[in-house]
Amino acid sequence: MDPKESYHEFMHKLFDLGELFEKPESLKDIRVLEVCALVIGPSTCDFLAEFGAEVIKFEGQRGDNMRFVTPYDYFWKNMSLGLEIQNHNKYWVGMHLGEPKAKKLFLEFVKKSDVVVDNLTPGRMAEWGLSYKELKEINPRIIQLHVSGYGSWGPWTGRTSYDAIAQSMGGLSAITGFEERGPIKSGVWIADWITGLMCSIGILSALNYRERTGEGQFIDYLQVENVIRWLDWTWLYAFKTGKDRKRSGNRDLSICPSDLFDCVDGWVALAAFSEEEFRGLCKAMNRLDLYAVYTDPLERLKDENARELLKAISEWSRTKRVAEVEALGSKYGFAASRVLKASDAYYSEHYRERGAIQEYEDALYGDMVQHCYPPRLSETPSRLKWGCRPLGFDNEYIFTTILNMSLEEIKKLKQKGIIFKWNPKVPSQGPPPDWDGSKGVRYRG
Amino acid sequence: MDDKRIIGLAVNEDYARWTHKETNPDDVSRKPEALDDMLVLDVSYGSFAGLFASSILAEMGAEVIRIEPPQGDIARKMTPYGIMINDSGLPYIVEGRNKFHITLDLIHEEGKTLLKKLVKRADVLIETFKPAYLDGLGLGYRQLRQINSGLIYCAIHSYGHFGSNAQKYGNQPDYDIIGQARGVVMSITGESELDGKVPEAYNKPLKHGNWMGWHTGGAWAAFGINAAMLYKRKTGKGQFIDSSPPEGLMAMSNYVMQYFHTAGEHMPRAGNYDYAVFPYTYEKCKDGYTFIGAYSDSSWAALCEIMNRPDLQQQFPTSKERLVPENQPIIQHEIEKFTTQYTSDELLKMITEYSRRPDKKGVVVMGRLESPKDVLTRDHWKDRKTFITLNDPGYGEVCVQNSSFKAMSRTPGRVKWVCRPIGADNDLIYQKYLAM
Repeated sequence: MDPKESYHEFMHKLFDLGELFEKPESLKDIRVLEVCALVIGPSTCDFLAEFGAEVIKFEGQRGDNMRFVTPYDYFWKNMSLGLEIQNHNKYWVGMHLGEPKAKKLFLEFVKKSDVVVDNLTPGRMAEWGLSYKELKEINPRIIQLHVSGYGSWGPWTGRTSYDAIAQSMGGLSAITGFEERGPIKSGVWIADWITGLMCSIGILSALNYRERTGEGQFIDYLQVENVIRWLDWTWLYAFKTGKDRKRSGNRDLSICPSDLFDCVDGWVALAAFSEEEFRGLCKAMNRLDLYAVYTDPLERLKDENARELLKAISEWSRTKRVAEVEALGSKYGFAASRVLKASDAYYSEHYRERGAIQEYEDALYGDMVQHCYPPRLSETPSRLKWGCRPLGFDNEYIFTTILNMSLEEIKKLKQKGIIFKWNPKVPSQGPPPDWDGSKGVRYRG
Repeated sequence: MDDKRIIGLAVNEDYARWTHKETNPDDVSRKPEALDDMLVLDVSYGSFAGLFASSILAEMGAEVIRIEPPQGDIARKMTPYGIMINDSGLPYIVEGRNKFHITLDLIHEEGKTLLKKLVKRADVLIETFKPAYLDGLGLGYRQLRQINSGLIYCAIHSYGHFGSNAQKYGNQPDYDIIGQARGVVMSITGESELDGKVPEAYNKPLKHGNWMGWHTGGAWAAFGINAAMLYKRKTGKGQFIDSSPPEGLMAMSNYVMQYFHTAGEHMPRAGNYDYAVFPYTYEKCKDGYTFIGAYSDSSWAALCEIMNRPDLQQQFPTSKERLVPENQPIIQHEIEKFTTQYTSDELLKMITEYSRRPDKKGVVVMGRLESPKDVLTRDHWKDRKTFITLNDPGYGEVCVQNSSFKAMSRTPGRVKWVCRPIGADNDLIYQKYLAM
């Protein structure tokens, strides 16, 4: 280590984005078969894909339902924004696995793959003869993950779940919202995303185990249960006190102060729990009298004290600008930040320097600016290569390179309707209107 | 177990029985653990992101040594209304699972030496201090990788350890609310901006009720650690993992970034509305709230038939009309006129009966808005062992959420113990690793 080099210089070099594409990928030789639609399953595979896994996505005739879910019914270059967000770096095959001939082909892929993910109705894959029982006969190293609202067995298996149902059935909605108001669902499909994330962790752990033992396994993952897992003290509190956790707006009932405060020109999120941080805040407010009374963090958490203290902070913050409070936070060592909007993140120098927001040229859609999945890894960083693709876009590439089929054989599969591509009458299945017929295509026909 | 409770509403009953056999929660303790060859040092402080990350690894069998300063981690004091059980608050008891708890003073030379000795043996170190803090103590990645090149060093902080804000805001501590505020999602969560009936006091961003920022940052850290561990098994190399909770949430901000990129505009706070699918919302009913999803044109037609409101269907026939922001409060309040006449169970019954009609127009989906106490009583969660109740020697009768990875057929996640008092495992760990 160079004693003259500062920590920040060292870190800057360690994560040099200029070398992004020269660095290896941690999941490079992992092949994932995605039999998924909507958000959870595709996001699970997307997380793996941005860290280097080769994900092959199988769609039925209509395609992933997200091809039709986009804000205000707005399609950009025929693309549904709802499809783009959880589908990067993937290969796209049009083939319905419920067809017996397609099933046989799928099993050929299974032989040469590491992971199969589905988020269909539990048991649907089994109906097609593609449950783990069958897959492990062909490939004992295979890891299969199924994710659904309530899992593959139990009184509620088979019940439909959507993101907002998982939020409400798992108790998240009941505790989200202002104290005197009704429950509010998240502004995003949070129960889908966080479940997708945990599914990918389950898969990675299973891959680690397989690396040691050679054994694959089946994973049943439950979306609603995942929401339950993420609700910190909700359950122990109900068990110990017999009471339901209350909605408390932006106030954190377990950390005081931690809340969103009004400023002259917006809002500031602020937190200062340790004695040292709280003293810093009181100094910044010129209210060391508050520090004298509420030095002990546990005293601050008592409901009456918390309300009084938060009121005092809010009276102070109302006279300040957001940037002022942020600067005071940095100076006095407490946490203070504005609420970032999409454009703040989009233009953020910081996020771009970190590769959290990446700009890239997509062969089909042109210049793209998107977030790239965290965390930042120094040796095997995540990266964006391309976005979503038309239905069946990579059929030829995948069948020639993985199943070693000839273009002639592939043509026959297409004639028999076993594999298919987008229907030109359904724009959001297809390429941009001005596509030249060759951009982005990965095989030479 | 009663067969009916296993097969539920399964489309394939044999599949349900088979998966039950493969993932039966009663068999968990007889099965191996996925990560039980890993040693993890969790030196996080005042952060449930760090604690959640190490919980995930501990549920999977990793040996996690929680390293606290002699007076304990301040995270033990983060607890609703200040409720403590002995030395710990409720949240800490939930995330103390399967971890060995030792104390070590990193400011003293002797403490530093001991930590370095542990690092030599470890696969992973998790920390949540301000950027460069440990480096200043001689315990940062620069120094530790010299003594263990295979070390996976995972730092969790709102601003990360590199990028311009890491310096600019590096003196600020990491908190959940900052993760939420900087994660973009909060800017579009909260009561609707476009519903004139929302009082001004509530017309502002809203955080998720739970520690969504911290959980997200912690889960991404566990994701990164697992990926890095896989890479390490193949190459022997360690690396630096920088997990910023705001980036963790930003990665889940739906299409807002793409919408800004392609349309140059922001999405507003939608409240319980949704600008990509509607109706897809919570509606008031007689006994609380209920979710109703009827966003495709066919399911909307079905809902209008169930409500006997053909006029509504005529007024908003396709998603094009239903996705107009100004129309959504109207649709919402019209549906509410119907739902408030019934309890959520009555509504569910009505919708289920309709779904069995051969002439149904589409499928309407419903879900209860459960209170925490509702959730704790449900058979489904009892059968799946979603919660575990046990009598802990240090903390008494407790009920906590089980590992959500417990339905892995070969290496299920599990909770072996809930928590340990400050320094409770000093003797064990110091003897085991340092022969002291």
